[in-house]
Amino acid sequence: MNGPSCVYLDYAATTPVEPLVAERMAQCLGRDGVFGNPGSTSHVYGEAASERVEAARAEVAATVGAEPAEIIWTSGATEANNLAIFGVAQYNAQVGRHIVTVRTEHKAVLDPCRELERRGWRVTYLTPDRSGVLDPAAVAAALRPDTVLVSVMHVNNEIGVIQDIAAIAALCARSGSARLHVDAAQSIGKCAVNFSELGIDLLSLSAHKAYGPKGVGALVVSRARGVQLKPLQYGGGQERALRSGTVATHQVVGMGVAFALVKAAPRDETLRIALLRDRLWDGLRSIGGVLRNGDSERSVPHLLNVSFEGVEGESLVAAVRPHIAVSTGSACTSINQEPSYVLRALGRDDRLAESSLRFSFGRFSTAADVDTAVSAVRRAVERLRRIGGA
Amino acid sequence: MTYNELTRRYFENASGTAGVLIGPDCFRGASGSRAQGTWVQFDVQVDSGAGPARIQAVRFLAFACPHIIAVSSWLAEQTPGCEIKAQLPESVQSLRERFDVPIPKLGRLLIVEDAWIAALRAAEAARAPGPE
Repeated sequence: MNGPSCVYLDYAATTPVEPLVAERMAQCLGRDGVFGNPGSTSHVYGEAASERVEAARAEVAATVGAEPAEIIWTSGATEANNLAIFGVAQYNAQVGRHIVTVRTEHKAVLDPCRELERRGWRVTYLTPDRSGVLDPAAVAAALRPDTVLVSVMHVNNEIGVIQDIAAIAALCARSGSARLHVDAAQSIGKCAVNFSELGIDLLSLSAHKAYGPKGVGALVVSRARGVQLKPLQYGGGQERALRSGTVATHQVVGMGVAFALVKAAPRDETLRIALLRDRLWDGLRSIGGVLRNGDSERSVPHLLNVSFEGVEGESLVAAVRPHIAVSTGSACTSINQEPSYVLRALGRDDRLAESSLRFSFGRFSTAADVDTAVSAVRRAVERLRRIGGA
Repeated sequence: MTYNELTRRYFENASGTAGVLIGPDCFRGASGSRAQGTWVQFDVQVDSGAGPARIQAVRFLAFACPHIIAVSSWLAEQTPGCEIKAQLPESVQSLRERFDVPIPKLGRLLIVEDAWIAALRAAEAARAPGPE
């Protein structure tokens, strides 16, 4: 073991690469491996690489219910989100310049939307209810004749709430002009995603949230629905000219294997994770003054977000840090703490937003990990409440 | 956020947090607000023996970040035996450097200073000779 040794409960941030994924990736790197440029199909090296890339494309497509030709490789979900948002907005600039999204989206959606606002587009930011659920009626009310894009994430990265994508997709389809983009970076392996059945126009995917490598993802662009977008970069015309640049064979092969493993995962894994989540929640709420963030019924079992009353957020994080690796409700990588905008959008005040912890489970999580987390958090919360005179 | 060794030590093993001090020779000062994210309270017990008044014991409560808890704890540990003076034993700037407090958190250190001075002023006022 070369890494840190505390309990890892931050699988929503990233996951370790599965050994089989690493093995298949390594086969694409060395002189004796499949190192060719997949675009150089005039020789066997390129052809072999191309075969691996297309096999990976087929695996990813099959995992999300899409056609292989609909998969556009990107460097990750952030690039996929940018390509979807800027691509659709710019391609349809003459049709309309209105976009609908949600306040609780990932920054990789919100920041491109803000940039488009600076360039003259109008963006409607919808607010979910206090449990994080977006009422599709709010989308219906926001749609206008000039709406060209609706961007709604499938599973929220902070609170795990699942949005009703099918209902929102139906509304977009009825509108005539609005394309639906869905950020599904947190969905793969946590809940079913079927691109064609749900009626999604564009779907962003990430490999590293699903035991694949960092630095690779995909944008699924519906061919059946005739989705058109303008590329963000130009060059060799790879990926249907939507994402020029040499395809990183080892990365996409890794993503393909990771997604294939997700597809083959036993069904009872979700139940196992749900039991861990319930065990954690039972342990944490026995501390007292603990509030659960997000709708407990409409969320993935892999994630639990809670706020602690009477505890200062940065101190809570510092106190649990030696024992558990979890995400926090504030951007404490920066000196100026910013409370989670997602929790604030749900109506939590700054103090509760700052004192939140996001626990997320994965393939290697155990009941012992949960028990360690509960006791570390209990010690920290009780001590800080004592110091704070609560 | 990273912390220097001193901050970590005083945050993880904060002394001076065992309850509050109450009595005729105990004086309290507080500053800040929980709603704003930082609140500090000091209870200072004064040695009422002969000679110049000295700090006998200090307790604190803090709803605050690790830097502020560490500084408060350090004050509680370092100041017993010191003469009563309505000022920090060293400047805010010096404390900032000692605990490697980021500059944007300077305002929080001023909350510690305000709470400390309020407690010591209360002690000074109580010991000042009254009108004849």
